[in-house]
Amino acid sequence: MSHVLPSPMATAAAPSSTEIPAPLIPLLSSLSSLIFTIEHLFNRIPGSPIIVRYIKSSYQDDPWRSLLEVLLLGFAIRTVLKGRTRGEGEGKNFIKLTEKEIDELVDDFNPVPLVDDPTPADSFTLDTVPTIYGPNGIKVKTSPNGKTLLNLTTPNWSGFIENEKMKDVAIDTLKKYGVGTCGPSGFYGTIDIHTKAEADIASFLGTEASIIYSQAFALVSSAIPAFAKRGDIIVADRGVNFGIHKGLQISRSNIKWYAHGDMKDLERVLQNVERERKRKGGKLTKKFIVAEGVFENDGMVLDLPKVIELKKKYKYRLILDECQSFGMMGAHGRGITEHFGVPASEVDMLLGSMANGVATGGGFCAGSQVVCSHQRINSSASVFSASLPAMLATCASAAIDMLKAQPTLMTSLQANILIFRQALAKLEPVMPDLTGTFSANTNTDSALMPPPPIPNKDAVISIPSHPNSGLIHIFLLNPPTTLEEEELLLQGVVDEVQNTSNILITRARRLRAQEVFEPEPSLKICISGAMSKKDVENAGKGLKAALIKICGSE
Amino acid sequence: MPRPAKRGASGASTPPSSLSSSPPSKPLYPAISFRSSSPSSSANHKESSVTARSSLLNVLTRPHHSSNSIKTIPSINQDNSSDEDTVLSDQSTISSYASSIVSGTSSTFTSNEDIAEVYRNYLEKPFVSTKSTIKHSEFGHCNNPNWRWTSQWNPDEPIHPSEEPHPPYFTLLTTYISYILLIVIGHMRDFFGKRFKPADYAHLMPQNGYAALNSDFDSFYTRRLKQRLEDCFARPTTGVPGRTIVCYDRASTNENKTFNLTGTTTRALNVSSYNYLGFASSTGGCADAVEASLRKYGVSGAGPRHDASTLDLHLQTENLVAKFIGQESAMVVSMGFATNSTTIPAIVGKGCLVISDEFNHSSIRFGVRLSGASLRSFKHNDVDALEKLLREVISQGQPRTHRPWKKILVIVEGLYSMEGSLVNLPVLLELKKRYKFYLYVDEAHSIGALGPNGRGVCDYFGVDPREVDILMGTFTKSFGAAGGYIAGSKALIDRLRLRSHATCYAESVSPPILTQIIASMGSIMGVAPPLATPPTEDDRSDSLSITSTKSRPTVYGPAPTYILPSWMKLPLNLLNGTEGRERLRRLAFNSRYLSSGLRKLGFIVYGHRDSPIIPLLIYNPGKMPWFSQLMLDRLGPDRTPIVVVVVAYPATPLITSRVRFCLSASHTKNDIDLILRACDEVGDLLGLKYGTQTMNVEEVIASAEELVSAQF
Repeated sequence: MSHVLPSPMATAAAPSSTEIPAPLIPLLSSLSSLIFTIEHLFNRIPGSPIIVRYIKSSYQDDPWRSLLEVLLLGFAIRTVLKGRTRGEGEGKNFIKLTEKEIDELVDDFNPVPLVDDPTPADSFTLDTVPTIYGPNGIKVKTSPNGKTLLNLTTPNWSGFIENEKMKDVAIDTLKKYGVGTCGPSGFYGTIDIHTKAEADIASFLGTEASIIYSQAFALVSSAIPAFAKRGDIIVADRGVNFGIHKGLQISRSNIKWYAHGDMKDLERVLQNVERERKRKGGKLTKKFIVAEGVFENDGMVLDLPKVIELKKKYKYRLILDECQSFGMMGAHGRGITEHFGVPASEVDMLLGSMANGVATGGGFCAGSQVVCSHQRINSSASVFSASLPAMLATCASAAIDMLKAQPTLMTSLQANILIFRQALAKLEPVMPDLTGTFSANTNTDSALMPPPPIPNKDAVISIPSHPNSGLIHIFLLNPPTTLEEEELLLQGVVDEVQNTSNILITRARRLRAQEVFEPEPSLKICISGAMSKKDVENAGKGLKAALIKICGSE
Repeated sequence: MPRPAKRGASGASTPPSSLSSSPPSKPLYPAISFRSSSPSSSANHKESSVTARSSLLNVLTRPHHSSNSIKTIPSINQDNSSDEDTVLSDQSTISSYASSIVSGTSSTFTSNEDIAEVYRNYLEKPFVSTKSTIKHSEFGHCNNPNWRWTSQWNPDEPIHPSEEPHPPYFTLLTTYISYILLIVIGHMRDFFGKRFKPADYAHLMPQNGYAALNSDFDSFYTRRLKQRLEDCFARPTTGVPGRTIVCYDRASTNENKTFNLTGTTTRALNVSSYNYLGFASSTGGCADAVEASLRKYGVSGAGPRHDASTLDLHLQTENLVAKFIGQESAMVVSMGFATNSTTIPAIVGKGCLVISDEFNHSSIRFGVRLSGASLRSFKHNDVDALEKLLREVISQGQPRTHRPWKKILVIVEGLYSMEGSLVNLPVLLELKKRYKFYLYVDEAHSIGALGPNGRGVCDYFGVDPREVDILMGTFTKSFGAAGGYIAGSKALIDRLRLRSHATCYAESVSPPILTQIIASMGSIMGVAPPLATPPTEDDRSDSLSITSTKSRPTVYGPAPTYILPSWMKLPLNLLNGTEGRERLRRLAFNSRYLSSGLRKLGFIVYGHRDSPIIPLLIYNPGKMPWFSQLMLDRLGPDRTPIVVVVVAYPATPLITSRVRFCLSASHTKNDIDLILRACDEVGDLLGLKYGTQTMNVEEVIASAEELVSAQF
């Protein structure tokens, strides 16, 4: 604009020069000649008259527009010049202080200590963590020269921890690939055996593809936010594990809870969401149902066929965490999809743990090709982390081959679970129907209908865990009033069985005050198919005796 | 080197006078245009190779060995004795290699084939005799004691360059134009594609009442920009990611949507893996220890640490790690990413403030988000900006309430994986005293890779590690294992054991991984009581090392014997720490040599010269796939493939696309020479020498030791 206006001004300045103080005259004349030069140069640009004419006409007609555009330009310049870090002394809450005042405030600043003093409960927790001396497995020692204990705490469903064949596979891998992969999968960390393990898992489960992560916990908390973003809707079971909670937190999605294991409540929530969406209108967002196959917090099994039915009806995607059930449920250990006879491809994202399921390490997400390749770029725990050590991947492949070839692995696990549950059945308020559920059943109604109640006046514990679940949580029926007392009581049971019956069990460890819904204290038992029937029977009897001794006399 | 003014000041860095007789440098490929260098056309290869060979031979200079300390390599000694022989002086350092294989024959290389022949088994066969059982393809054998350096802070050298090297404005402009073009074309293709080929866009559109899994806006960058470079990423490999790596060859017929393996493999020099100390190995003492451990402990740790999956091996590893770091206590976690993401929430929470460097790793941001603490970030490595921010946040307190923050935690990385820059630890510790914040240093890349004892940035700067509140690091990189650790005071680690998500819910570290950590870490430290005394420091490079003005803390001792598992049998060279020490010094030399060399060649290189991560700036996105491809399909007469990592937005700022070299102790000096030659070739072809070239490649190679010891 400046190049248009000045020319009349410059000519006007010349005749009236007599009134201007003499010292200013050379300044003004040089100014006007400068303006002339600029104007001349501008006119020499081809097409400049058109621009001048356009600007003139448009701004004559609409002065508001020129104001708006000047403001816009100013805003753009301000944005460009503004620092990259936000909030540099701006905002209405910012209080301007002098340097001296800031110095005083800095001197006064007295942060709380980095570490708060441990509470008695903290030391209690730390002191009760057992250390295994020597290899982990079915029989372990908790002191260098101590007695041998039956290990009922480590997930080792098929006894793969001590499997000699897996050791051989691992050593072969070591001789070819070394130990670490020294890089994320994007940067020369994708080894052929990763691709093979991914293909093995996909074909084992019957999905299109799968992707391997180097830790199952990180998988769960990173795969969910890879798909669910701000504004999406997640309907989740209230009983989901800690990793899922963290994933939900990172996703910043709109989270709705349904009562743990209650399919009616799930449907109610889904209907509510649908109603709300219809009322509000708006764009179609991604909708997910998040649940676990076998729940880590209590061993209950998800009613998968019903969830699949609901998910299809309301157009949700299902994120199913099978970190506990993979390698444990179903005729070949494919998880609860096999247990219920539902094709795994019906589940959109199937998360599993190779550390729990097949005793190697890492986790996987199985699903369609699109789902898996999406995570290779968008899931932080996959992109920004070194890939799984080669030997853990080859051992997972080997374990899957064994699961495929040896159905006895799963039947002996189920037989052991049955023996153990029968030993404890007399302590439960309602005798569970343990016999009818042994075979991998497709008739879901009979499995999930509660058996007819048989009241039991000797009851001290309740076991919500599914009769087929190798992960068994034992809750006290009449717990003391505080959590601390209850934990103490349970630790008493743990110590008692260790001393009298030579079995190692554990309280379920929780991150008190960090959990979204505080789970009740419980004892956590993992049954292995590799244990001898006699051992399992003795363990059941020993635990029963200890429970009666510690908790029964109230 | 983009700062010629400083170069003049460093007299020692200029090549010695004997070099001035060598022919002046010429562009190696004057005749080749960018287009004709297409790697797929073999005809052009031949032509370019011939040109390259003849000009290469013209500028070859004799190997420069200033002292008589090369007695360990007789073959090179022979070269030196016939120093004035013009025939021999025309041989480059490759001749030292050549004469060792083609023993006795001192014939000149007259043809491309001869050089190719010399390099035929270059990646697999060592040219020095060695007793080591480790394969040359995994860990290069290099006996020359001159090619060693000590990684230690020189207070005379600035930690950060006073100003960032800038590319020419033309480059910036073309880079921006490239991105604009890519974005415009991408949107046009989307626009027409959605209308004419809806099947290809099905996964981006709502279908059957399901919203698209992948929003087309979010995935735009991936589909339209990254896919063009797809071949540079996630190349499938096999075997050990050591000094060399075997890649599967692959080709795409559908614009990089999918790749088909061609069935052949290529062994290439590996400057991409984070194998700083060369412990990625399938043979040798560490691998033997891992095998023994597999026999004893099996493969898996299975359950979480608190649920009876804490093995004695875990405690031994943690004790050793604490000793290695120089902290009271340590805790190991089974995944490096999860070490940050599960620990930070256990340290800070609501009402706390995390101040994070803007280039901090994704896992740190993940952890901070989980913690619920407020987050502010400051400009990368700018301590002044940090101080300004600290004054602001302390004086303002929490937003709205203006209550003082409960804790302020400053999180920085020791060595930044994309920048190669070091944290300014001495200044940070000064600030820490004044502003009373807690300091968390992520040493994912620096642990093992920096410092005279390999103990990371604290060791490098000679500060007491206990001055830093929380030291985190990973085992993936320097130790060839997996997982990460947190080290700090005993009270802190005990708290973390209780509150960290990982101890309670994540799987424990596998026994073979723990064994690899113990074996590699133990061999860096050496084990006391020593079975053999380590060699006295009489190496030439040590005399050039910096003598620190203030006394360095002596927290870094050898590992006591009782910490190591009794069943673990390590060979003598690992036990007495000579091997570890050698590796540290080789890595330091390699890093400094390549970083200095590339600067002299006129490339813009970021980062500190002691950093084993060396980012070379490419800027133009179109040059990235070419760089990667040309390094793999080498045009030079040696034809030795090199695999490199190219990184672009979003891992780096939009315009500063770069190639990142990760050096290793397993590389020999000849390997670095090879990389320099390859970069020189490709840099000339693609016009990547944005700075001023002050030496030609043969001068750089000949004056390696001077470059390393010089200050600039």
